[in-house]
Amino acid sequence: MKARLRNAICGLLLGGALAAAVPALADDTLDRGIGSEWSSLDPQINFDAAAGWILQDAYEGLITFGPGGVIQPGAAESWDVSEDGRTYTFHLREGLKWSNGDPLVARDFVNGVLRTLDPATGSEKGYYFYSTIKVKGAAAIANGETTDTSGLGVTAPDDRTVVVEMETPAPHILDLMGAFQMAPLHKPSFDAGGPGVFIDPARVVSNGAYVIREVVPQSHVLLERNPNYWDAANVKIPFVKYHVTEDVNTELKRYRAGEIDVTYDIPINQIEALKAEMPDQVFISPSTEVTYYSFNLTRPPFDNIDLRRALTLAIDRETLEGKIVKGGAIPSFAFAGGFDPTYHGPSIAEASMTQAEREALARELYAKAGYGPDNPLRISITSTVSEDSTKRAQGVALMWKKVLGVETTVNAMERKAWLDEFYTMDWDVFSDNLVGDFAGAETFLSYMRPSAEPGYQWVKPEYDAAMDVAAEQTDRAARNEKLAIAEKILLDDYIFSPMAIQPQRQLVKPGVRTWVPSPAGYYNSQFLTLD
Amino acid sequence: MLRFIGKRLWDGGLTLAALVVLTFFMMRLAPGGPFSKNRKISPEVLENIKAKYHLDEPVWMQFARYVRGLAQGDFGPSMRFRDYSVNDLIAAGLPWSLTIGFWAIVVASLVGVALGIAGALRRNSAADYLAGTIGVVGIAVPIFVIGPLAQAIFALRLEWLPVGGIGGGWRSLVLPVLVLALPNIAYISRLTRTSMIETLRENYVRTARAKGIGEPRVILRHTMTGTLLPVIAYLGPATAAIITGSILIETIFAVPGIGRHFVDAALNRDYPLVMGITIVYGGLVIAFNILTDLLRGWLDPRVRHG
Repeated sequence: MKARLRNAICGLLLGGALAAAVPALADDTLDRGIGSEWSSLDPQINFDAAAGWILQDAYEGLITFGPGGVIQPGAAESWDVSEDGRTYTFHLREGLKWSNGDPLVARDFVNGVLRTLDPATGSEKGYYFYSTIKVKGAAAIANGETTDTSGLGVTAPDDRTVVVEMETPAPHILDLMGAFQMAPLHKPSFDAGGPGVFIDPARVVSNGAYVIREVVPQSHVLLERNPNYWDAANVKIPFVKYHVTEDVNTELKRYRAGEIDVTYDIPINQIEALKAEMPDQVFISPSTEVTYYSFNLTRPPFDNIDLRRALTLAIDRETLEGKIVKGGAIPSFAFAGGFDPTYHGPSIAEASMTQAEREALARELYAKAGYGPDNPLRISITSTVSEDSTKRAQGVALMWKKVLGVETTVNAMERKAWLDEFYTMDWDVFSDNLVGDFAGAETFLSYMRPSAEPGYQWVKPEYDAAMDVAAEQTDRAARNEKLAIAEKILLDDYIFSPMAIQPQRQLVKPGVRTWVPSPAGYYNSQFLTLD
Repeated sequence: MLRFIGKRLWDGGLTLAALVVLTFFMMRLAPGGPFSKNRKISPEVLENIKAKYHLDEPVWMQFARYVRGLAQGDFGPSMRFRDYSVNDLIAAGLPWSLTIGFWAIVVASLVGVALGIAGALRRNSAADYLAGTIGVVGIAVPIFVIGPLAQAIFALRLEWLPVGGIGGGWRSLVLPVLVLALPNIAYISRLTRTSMIETLRENYVRTARAKGIGEPRVILRHTMTGTLLPVIAYLGPATAAIITGSILIETIFAVPGIGRHFVDAALNRDYPLVMGITIVYGGLVIAFNILTDLLRGWLDPRVRHG
């Protein structure tokens, strides 16, 4: 008895000691989840949004994205636009410095763009400059047609001026002047150490609100406030630590244990429970990713527009996203700009009908296309194996069966195989998605130009013409109006069925202030505070 | 004995070579490639990127290039983690995987053998039933159930240990090590128990007892070798399996080992990384099997002459 009591006391003491030994999270550190391993900390190479968070803390572009992703002056304090909207002149702040104290000059931004475009760099981001906006001379450098960089439309006439000249006006240029697309390059350190400097805290030189202090592959990146940042006085949080947590359920537990303050994602099956348990900590908001089901126009019966429309109408999007997929996606009949308050898309007939009306019309069109109970359509949906896209495909199959009697099989494949499968044209319906380059309708609509993506095998000169008209507009509001006309042409052809706008999901500790949802996913730590 | 070692090493080398060839060409057969992701890139730029990684060359030429690098100990660049070479990633991750694997083996062997002996000596006692229960639970319940459960109990409810990551020093490793050890504790204890019971029935043990040797000495001196032979035979492959089996553990507990790369690299078609991890794992499995054979040959002459 005595021994047992002694053991029990020892056990309690030991437990207590262990509990006391777990360090309370230092409250001068913001711990952020970034999901699986960052792909690269090289600002000209990295293409991952999550790694982009680290880079946007460590680097600053000409502009920066404030709370909610609002564009505000960054390294440039102001800019002028030429009359024709083709030339932007950025004026850098006075006395800008790199983290090592070197002066930051306009040429450093030009060097950043040059390195992004240089074929030897092997960057996938060059298209921002030759496609998303058409900077003079950018395509020729990126394609390797010329090594002469003097023709590039990004220049530094003096230390404090960056000039960007484009072939066509593009009011969305500012969206591409942030650190993710256009970080400056500190040439002395890069020339001395090559791309290895970007992951070496001892050698990396950056110009953002934070500097990289520690990099442990697969584990974390630690950032510390940069004393040489021009606005260092207003950077409230001294340290930011980005944690790799591959498994989203583990991340949730780490959040509960206080090891992480802001998560990368929320497990889909936990959303409802968490909303009930901690409503003020669950952030679900639209992202710039849309999901749509493309039809294979090269094979019958998808060359029949009535059938494509019938299939589009027969899907009950509210039920699909709200009751079947349950991932927080926003059902949509539109394709572009559902997250952009300045864009008012075309009026879509389907959107104002009730689901019963849609289904009635769907049945009518299905019969008109020559199908019925005795002659059902047999098709397949090609999707990825991810949980939400498989669920969505199965849900759609179920609805097509119920409303029209279509026999649908779901062909789920691993992501890389799925990406290549698109170009084989060996599919009926392709569960497709597209991530916008900025929070605007144009990024989606210009991608659908047959000249930009011939993969859809869609020929529509009217669409290209309407997009050309929009591309000439220098004013964003006027441009959006013209873009809406183009979207109408696109949607009326039913080359795909719009499905949903994908959400971003985060848990944010109450102590983390000014976390404002940003569709493009900009959450610079410098604008956050920690209680 | 030397001939025996030489033959085992030769066989191991051949196996590894076959593994390299098979993995290399099977990876290329899978649809999709490391850079098939962004449809917005111009074809010329994509070609440039592929050329940078020699993916534009015929596969046999890529293979020759790879083998040439391999001969110099160079696993090549990672295609997904562009800041690192495969050597960098393995150097950063392998120590974590080995640390967890090593301690899991130590814990599993010590606890497993102790429980097994206790069970064999006191059959149908409380200790025996305890060992039996751990055995059933440890073998039957998979790691992806035990792991999250252990996190929920020891990290969230009792708050003794961190949920994951490596921020808590040695405390961060306690749960991954224990969860990884558990199925092996179970297996080793069953193996030890059965083996011990059999050995205790051997004639030489009866002789030892008849000579009046004390029971502790009989157990330690006379039955141990016989008891541990099957355990050692199991430990070789098990060590390799534990180190490679930490894939799930590393994901669940966010440990930065190389196990996580194993699946992800294949999904991302990061050819050099898949090759690197496969060779390291394959090498470990082969090495531990050879080691076990040697150990058994040393303990039991029948093995080396058989």
